[in-house]
Amino acid sequence: MNVALDLAALTVSAAALVSAVVVLLSTRRPSAALPVLLDLLTAAGLLRLAADPSWQRIAGAAAIVALRHLLVHGLHVGARTRPSSTR
Amino acid sequence: MTAEGFDPEEALQSTVGLLVTVVEACGAVVIVVGALWAFIRFVGVGLRRRDASAFVPVRLVLGRFLALGLEFQLASDVLRTAVAPSWEQLGQLAAVAAIRTALNYFLSREIAEERRQVAEDEQDARDRATQPDQTRPGTAPT
Repeated sequence: MNVALDLAALTVSAAALVSAVVVLLSTRRPSAALPVLLDLLTAAGLLRLAADPSWQRIAGAAAIVALRHLLVHGLHVGARTRPSSTR
Repeated sequence: MTAEGFDPEEALQSTVGLLVTVVEACGAVVIVVGALWAFIRFVGVGLRRRDASAFVPVRLVLGRFLALGLEFQLASDVLRTAVAPSWEQLGQLAAVAAIRTALNYFLSREIAEERRQVAEDEQDARDRATQPDQTRPGTAPT
């Protein structure tokens, strides 16, 4: 099962890169592509962790989760402080 | 006194090991299905639309898949505590459970926030649809 999980993690990582490139090319905004990339890399990290919970993979998963949280939180704060132009 | 050849501790470890494998596999399947669905939707939306906000609902659904997969994985972590044989494995288990719990918490907050935003946007759209003429203050009708 560990081999299958590692293969799935690799597939999801590749999907993350492709998705991020597609989003970046269609929107021309890295702020739209980065959350997509990190969400799918988080999924890949969880699968790698399930395959083999070594300290290296634990550190990798923790780093991805922390980076994702910082980015999502940062983007939310940025969106709230930007002046509204719709009313 | 145990029956000859039967070790209850070993039997418990085997049973728990099997349960952990099954539950972990369920979590992995949910995560893989969610990731692949999200990938197809990201590419589809990316090819059809150029609006960054169009990807938010897809990320929201992916977040729900991850949260559900994490529930299974956290359940397998709890099961593993029954038979963790060494301090190092227990330490790894604690670290993995902490990461999964933290991610589950962040995802729950993001999903709740997105739901609130969607409800607000729908309310704004309804308000604008029912009051279309409040756009130019200071102009008197002639």
